[in-house]
Amino acid sequence: MRPDEREIDDEIRGHIALAIKERVDRGEDPEAARRAAWAEFGYMPQVRESVRQVWYSRWFDAAADFARDMRVGVRSLAGAKGLALAVVITLGLGIGANAAIFSVVRGVLLTPLVNRDEDRLIYIRQGSATPGAENMTFSVPEIEDLSARVTSVSAFGDFSTIDFTMIGIGEPRVVHAGVVSGTFFEVMGLRPVLGRLLQPTDDGPGAAGAVVLTHRFWSTALASDPGVLGRTIRLDTRTATVVGVLEPSVPYPVDTEIIANVVTSPHHLDALMVTGRTHRMTELFGRLKPGVTVEQARAELQAAHAAMRSAHPEDYAGRAEVHVSVRTLREQIATPARAILLLLLATAGVVFIVACSNVANLILARSVRREGELAVRAALGASRGALRRTLLAESLVLCGAGALVGVLLAGPLVTFVARFAARYSVRALDVTMDASLLWIGVALAMAASVLLAWIPRLPAAETSTSGSLATSGGLRITPGTNRRLRLFATAQVAFSFVLLVGAGMLLAALVSLQTTTAAANAKTVLAIDVPLPIQAFGPKTITFVDEAMRRIAALPGVSRVAAGNVVPWRDVGKFGPFTFGAEGFTPADGADQPLAVLRNVTPGYFATLGVPLVAGRDFTDDDRGRGELVVIVSQTLATRLFPNGEALNRQLWWTDPVFGDAKRRIVGVAADLNDDSVLPLPAMTVYHPLRQIPFGGRLFVQAAGGDPYALVPAITRAIHEIAAEQPVERAATLEDVRAALMTPDRVNAFVVTGFAGVALAIAIVGVAGVLAFSVSARTREFGVRLAIGSTPRDLLTRVLREGIGIVIVGIVAGVGLGYALAALGASYVDGLRLPGLVPVAGAASVLAVAAVAAALLPARRAARVDVLRALRTE
Amino acid sequence: MPRTPDDSRLDLLQGTLDMLILRTLQWGSQHGHGIGQMIRTQSDELLKVETGSLYPALHRLEKRGWLSAKWGISEANQRAKYYALTAAGKAQLVREQDRWTQLVTAIGRIMQPIDGKE
Repeated sequence: MRPDEREIDDEIRGHIALAIKERVDRGEDPEAARRAAWAEFGYMPQVRESVRQVWYSRWFDAAADFARDMRVGVRSLAGAKGLALAVVITLGLGIGANAAIFSVVRGVLLTPLVNRDEDRLIYIRQGSATPGAENMTFSVPEIEDLSARVTSVSAFGDFSTIDFTMIGIGEPRVVHAGVVSGTFFEVMGLRPVLGRLLQPTDDGPGAAGAVVLTHRFWSTALASDPGVLGRTIRLDTRTATVVGVLEPSVPYPVDTEIIANVVTSPHHLDALMVTGRTHRMTELFGRLKPGVTVEQARAELQAAHAAMRSAHPEDYAGRAEVHVSVRTLREQIATPARAILLLLLATAGVVFIVACSNVANLILARSVRREGELAVRAALGASRGALRRTLLAESLVLCGAGALVGVLLAGPLVTFVARFAARYSVRALDVTMDASLLWIGVALAMAASVLLAWIPRLPAAETSTSGSLATSGGLRITPGTNRRLRLFATAQVAFSFVLLVGAGMLLAALVSLQTTTAAANAKTVLAIDVPLPIQAFGPKTITFVDEAMRRIAALPGVSRVAAGNVVPWRDVGKFGPFTFGAEGFTPADGADQPLAVLRNVTPGYFATLGVPLVAGRDFTDDDRGRGELVVIVSQTLATRLFPNGEALNRQLWWTDPVFGDAKRRIVGVAADLNDDSVLPLPAMTVYHPLRQIPFGGRLFVQAAGGDPYALVPAITRAIHEIAAEQPVERAATLEDVRAALMTPDRVNAFVVTGFAGVALAIAIVGVAGVLAFSVSARTREFGVRLAIGSTPRDLLTRVLREGIGIVIVGIVAGVGLGYALAALGASYVDGLRLPGLVPVAGAASVLAVAAVAAALLPARRAARVDVLRALRTE
Repeated sequence: MPRTPDDSRLDLLQGTLDMLILRTLQWGSQHGHGIGQMIRTQSDELLKVETGSLYPALHRLEKRGWLSAKWGISEANQRAKYYALTAAGKAQLVREQDRWTQLVTAIGRIMQPIDGKE
């Protein structure tokens, strides 16, 4: 049993008592015996120590020393609560933000996918440089050509999406479904958690309908009900059986609720899909053969694609060349999130640097104030090592507490950042906090505390201690310390400047987005999805839309109703762009055919949304199937094709085979409404009367006043009176639809501005602190200056000038730093731009004003120095 | 040079103190002071063990499991720690005694001629 110190003492006392007794028994005087016994025993503490060392190792003692240092550190910090609190909060925020962002970055960019042999899983994309055609997807004949020519890819998997009205699981509603061939899951390397996945036997028109549920859908909407297996559901007009549930995996390119085999979609079986080389709607994946690199596969696929293009030149005509790109799936998924995550990581890193330099300043100022204490300890024999250890213990306590706060903060921050990043990469949804976060936090805290412990100057050997001791009550500030303080303050200003400029750029972009004129009535117009199955194409749709509009228009509080096939900013990427031609227009030599998106709308659509007609007329109820075919085009389309303004009454026709080549007369020109983008981009749009292309399940209801959302129940009832099973979904004002699309930009600006604000606040406190400290250390100097004729005003401007000097040097350094960071960033992030003059000037003036404000307080104190008292100090 | 018990003591060879302690305890348990006294009297005052060596040695042996310790009341009517040999301690004593005999024989063979020249 390891004895404690008291037992060792007891044993020694027992020994002495026996020795005394022995001497007394021999006849010695008790007092003399006691003294002789102690003398004979030797130096008692040494004996005790050597016994202790038998049981307690050196590490144990080091740990005990360390614990004592920590206790002293805690006690000494308790005397400086304000400082301790400031440091812990600053470090906590810095560590928390960095750890959270880093764990999201890791989860999104670095962690492998769950797919088997995910490094052999590639994503193949066909696209061209034409705007809007970056991802053209593939057609079935193209996929067949590629797989026939390529040997480095062992199998291809294809994935397309289609909307079904699904009846049989929950409420009848429209689901976004994936349609895949039997090789898809084998190529993706995924397993079922229940039942089976789709196999080659599920291919072909003769197979039975089969669907696999995605894990997210099964576990959320169906509460992980295993009974769903084998259930028969209806997808539009066909039926299918639920055969399995997919394991949790990253959905790409889109998150769907179900994945079905080809037979469930009549569209996938018709001739257009199977033989139409330009009917592209399929995403393509591949699995590399073992030992094949991505580069080899890319080279082979590009060669095969080139051969295919030269075999069918008419299908790849145009100036912008169609090409294929090949990436691993992991890289493909991570790419959109990469830039924004690296930006966030850099921002958080810069804030951490600012925070650390401010903490360094606080510690440095404190260490100057306690130079006297350190000098006394050094004079009493504390070694430099022991002093450093004290400082290290203090900064460890501070940074440890900071790390604790940081790790506690990191949990909610991870959720926040992950939700934010999920807009760019679906993988972020699966990011969770793990132990690595703790290690990052601890590592950051350790780095910071070691740094902080080495910042203060220790009292030098004997020579200077006398001076420090003599003035231990007062405050001396050496030029070296002063330089360091200024250096940190300048660094804070420089880094804050970079952040402010970045925030300014994002805010400027956001403001320009928000002031973009969209549909004028966006705030009062509700967009509602009433998805109609593709089979309702034709008179059924017209009857339904007419009846729905009639009933809704009769509701109280409704001022206008219209219908269409696309909700602006929500149904992004649908119905086009397609190529078209127009009478009197020939593309310049070698140029592409023009592309436009197709919209079907009812009369009154433009008035309802508040989109002005620039020329011509709106559609009328007479623009129907048997009548003359007419269209309305967007202003950009009209001026681009016919710069002299003679667009009206010309003929226009689609050249995409889906639409035939019917000629349609242009009867109107509407203002641009780019409903694919929140950016104020020009719009190439061709509007058809819904009665002439009878397809569309989107209603637009303008409220007469009051809350548009209050109309939703009445509208839903009105539609269910026509068709009880008709889904009525996603009612939202156009303003809100647009806002949802802008959320990422808004959150970007918000987050970076928040970071910049924190950095600015820290920098102001830093500058003010340095000046206040320098003023309080120079009271005597100011007294002398006043005594020999300086006015208080001179002192005021003197200190103000000092503050402004720090800021100017900081801003200049910040400009250099910004350029360096931008150059560094450009090699990691595509499309990084340098800021315009406005954000730079704005950031500089914000900093300058802040610095003057920060300098004012200490400057006034300098001006109010009492000459006599100042001269009497020391 | 004649040696008297008072001004000259023999320094113990490294490791022999442990053996002496074990040997001293073979007749029964004893406290530290008693062990020191027994070594002194049995060596005719030639060996005097410093407390600075004795107590660390006792604790070392206890830690290795060769001695067990129990608190008792000493002749001075005060708490004292009594050490006793464990079974492992007895085995160790036998081993050390064997090694000591070998060592003495070996050193004796080397030292004998030098002794003769004096």
